[in-house]
Amino acid sequence: MTTKSKLYRKEAYWGYLFIAPPVIGFLVFALFPAVYSIYGSFTDWDGLGQMSFIGLDNFKEIFQDELFHKAMYNTVFMMLAIPVGIVLALLLALGLNRRIPGTTAFRAIYYIPVISSIAAISIMWNLAYNGDFGLVNQFLDLFGIKGPNWLQNVHTVKPAIMIMMVWKGLGYTMLLYLAALQSVPKDYYEAAELDGANAFSRFRHITWPMVKPVTFFVVVTNIIGGSQLFIEINIMTSTGGPEYSSASVVFYVWQKAFGNLQMGYASAMSVILGLFIFIVTLVQFKLDRSSEVNE
Amino acid sequence: MAKKSWISALTLVTSAGLVLTACGGGNDNGGEASAPASSPAGSQASSPASGGTKDLGKADLTFMFRGGPDEQAAYKKTVDRFEKDHPGVKVKIITTAADQYATKLKAAITGNSVPDVFYYDPGDLMAYVNGGVLLKLTDYVQNNADIDINKIWKKGVDLYRYDGQTVGQGDIWGLPKDLGPFAMGYNKTMFEKAGIPLPDKDKPYTWDEFIKTAQQLTLDTNGDGKLDQWGTGLNVNWTLQSLVWSNGADWIDSTHKKVTIDDPKFAEALQFFADMQNKYKVTPSISEAQTLDTYQRWMQGQIGFFPVGPWDMSTYEKLPFEYDLIPYPAGSTGKTATWLGSLGIGVSSKTKYPEAAAALTMYLTGSEEGMKMLSDAKVQMPNLTDMAQTWAADTSTKPANKEEFLQIVNDYGRPIPGILTYNAEWYNLFFTDIQPVLDGKITAAEYVKQEQPKMQKLLDKAIEQEEKSKSK
Repeated sequence: MTTKSKLYRKEAYWGYLFIAPPVIGFLVFALFPAVYSIYGSFTDWDGLGQMSFIGLDNFKEIFQDELFHKAMYNTVFMMLAIPVGIVLALLLALGLNRRIPGTTAFRAIYYIPVISSIAAISIMWNLAYNGDFGLVNQFLDLFGIKGPNWLQNVHTVKPAIMIMMVWKGLGYTMLLYLAALQSVPKDYYEAAELDGANAFSRFRHITWPMVKPVTFFVVVTNIIGGSQLFIEINIMTSTGGPEYSSASVVFYVWQKAFGNLQMGYASAMSVILGLFIFIVTLVQFKLDRSSEVNE
Repeated sequence: MAKKSWISALTLVTSAGLVLTACGGGNDNGGEASAPASSPAGSQASSPASGGTKDLGKADLTFMFRGGPDEQAAYKKTVDRFEKDHPGVKVKIITTAADQYATKLKAAITGNSVPDVFYYDPGDLMAYVNGGVLLKLTDYVQNNADIDINKIWKKGVDLYRYDGQTVGQGDIWGLPKDLGPFAMGYNKTMFEKAGIPLPDKDKPYTWDEFIKTAQQLTLDTNGDGKLDQWGTGLNVNWTLQSLVWSNGADWIDSTHKKVTIDDPKFAEALQFFADMQNKYKVTPSISEAQTLDTYQRWMQGQIGFFPVGPWDMSTYEKLPFEYDLIPYPAGSTGKTATWLGSLGIGVSSKTKYPEAAAALTMYLTGSEEGMKMLSDAKVQMPNLTDMAQTWAADTSTKPANKEEFLQIVNDYGRPIPGILTYNAEWYNLFFTDIQPVLDGKITAAEYVKQEQPKMQKLLDKAIEQEEKSKSK
C-alpha cells in the first residue's frame, strides 16, 4: 500500500470536495459560534465591544436568578406535551395503518401543520385562543362551557401552548410511526394469533418493541427541540406571558442578549441549556442501550 | 457501546445547535444592502445640480424605522422627496412592527450589520455611544444650511447629547424624530349624550372628581343587563406614571441610583390605579379588557377617558365621535403630570456615506420641508418650535386642544424613568410582575415592598455595566 493509484487519489480528492460544504458550514456556523459563546459566558460582554473576563460570576448569578428558574420550569413543564404527542401519534398511526377508505386524505390532513410555517401557525392559534372571539372558546361555548382567556391567564397559558405544540408535531411523529408499522413483518402477527394472543398482547409484545427505535428517536429529538422553544412564545406571548409564566429559557436568553445587552450573561445561560440538553440526551442513550440488553 | 452513544448524543446536540444559530442568523438581514462600490468623490459632477436639488454624490443608504401603517406611509413619502432632492442618493427602507424593533436593531448591531440611518430609543444612547455604534453628528448639524438646531425643541435635542458622563450635555449623537407628549383624551360625544359638563382643559380633575365622572359614564346603554360603556380603561404600562408623579412619587431618585417605589405615596397611586378596576369598577373587567383591549373599545366609542399621543391623530380622525385633550387628573400634589416620549434618529459610525446619512437624518428631523410633510400627514407634532405653535393654534382640526401637547412639551412632560439609566431592565421588571396587583390579589403596598429589592438589584447591575462601558 505504499503507492496509491492515481484514480484512488482523485477519488479521495473528490470525496473531500463533496464533504467540504457541510464541514466548513459546521465549523463556521456551529462550532465557532458555540466555542465563542462558551468563552463569552465567562465575560461581561455587552455585544457592542466591551468584553472582560469575570470568571464564574455569570453562572453564580444565574443560580440565584428567579426569572431563570421560572423560565427553566416553564420549559420543562411544557415538555410534558411530548408524551401526550407520542401517544396520540401512535394511536393515529395505528388507525391509519388499517385498510379503511380515506386514509391517504387523513394522512395529508394530519401532515399539513408540519409543513406550515411556525410563525403562521402561532398567529393562527393566537386568534383561536382569543377569549371572546376565539374558535376554541366558541367551540367550548357549544357545550355551555365558558372558556378562559387562554393566553392571558397564568394557569392556562402553558397548556394552551402545549396543545398547539402537540397539534403541530402530531403529523410528523405519526408518519414516522406509520413507516415503522408498515415494516413490521405480517407473519409475526399471524404466528401470535395462532398462539392465541389477543389484540392487546399483540400490541405489547410485537408492535411496541418493533416501533421502539422510532419512539426513541422521537423522544430524543422532541426534547432537544422542546428545550429550544422560542418562536411560539415570542409570537403568542411577546412579553413572556402573564407574570412570565410562558417564557422559555431561550426566550429569556434572547431578552437578555438583545433587550438588555447582556450577551455574556445570555451566553452563560445558553451554555447551561446546552449542557442540560447534552446530559438529558446522554442519559436517554444509556437507558436505551440498557433496555435493549435486558430483552 | 458507551462510546458510540456519546458520539451520537453529541452529534444530535450540535446539530440542534445548528438550528439555533441558523435562527440567530435570520435576525440580522438588516444592513446587508450597503453597496460594494461607491463612485469616487471626483466623479460626482455628472448629475446636474438644479433648483432645490443638492449634490451629495452617489450613496446607497439603508434606513430602518418603525411605526403604524400611516406613519410608515408618511415617512416613505418624505424619504422619496429626499431622494428627489438629492439625485444619486438611494434609500432602502426597512420597517418592523413596533414591539419587534428594538430587538431587531440590537441584533443588527451585535451582528455588525447596522443600517446607515435608524431610529433608536434615547434610553440606549449611553450604551451606543460608549460602544461606538453611533456617528457624532455635531459638525454635520452645524454645517448644514437647511436646519437651525435652535429651532428644534431643546428638550428633544438634549436627549441625544452626551459628553461621556452626562446625558444632555456635549456632542450630538442623534436628533429627535419627534417628541411624543402623552396627553389624556375624552369622548366629547359621550359626555354630551350623558349630559355631563365637559372637563376643563386648563384645570385638571382631582382623583375623586375623575372617579365620580367616570362612574357617571359607566353604563348599560342598551339595557341588556351588561355594561357596554365605561368611564376609562388605562394601560398600566403607559399611564401609571401620571398617577405616581402627580402624587409626588417616582420610580427612581434624582441621582438615578436608588429605586424609590417603596414610598407610601407611590403605593397609594398604584392602589388607586388598581382600584379603578376592582373597587370603583369604572373600567372594563379583567376578562373584558383582555379580550377586546381598551384601545379598540375606545375607538368604538365605549370608553370615556383614554390617552392620546400625536401619533394617534391620523387614526383618530376617522373616529365616529368627537374627542379632545385634557390634562390628566391630579393626585395629592394638585399638579397634573405625564410623560414625554421621544425616538431618535441616528447614523451608524460604520456607514460608508456619513455625509448623505447625516443629511437624511437632518432632513427628517429638522428641515422645514420634511417636517411639514410629516406633520401634514398627522403622524406627529412638528419638531420645529415655530411650526408647532402654528400647528397647535389651529383649532379647526381634531383635536381642538392641541395646545395640551405643547404644554406637556414645554411644562410638565417628563421622560419615562426607564430611559434615565444604562438599561431599563429594572424598570421593566416592575411591569412584568404587576398583574396580581391589578387583579386585586395583593395590595400595592405589599407589591412595592417585595419588588423594590429585586428592582434595586437590577439597577445596581445597570450602573455597574455603565461604569464598565465608560472605562473601556
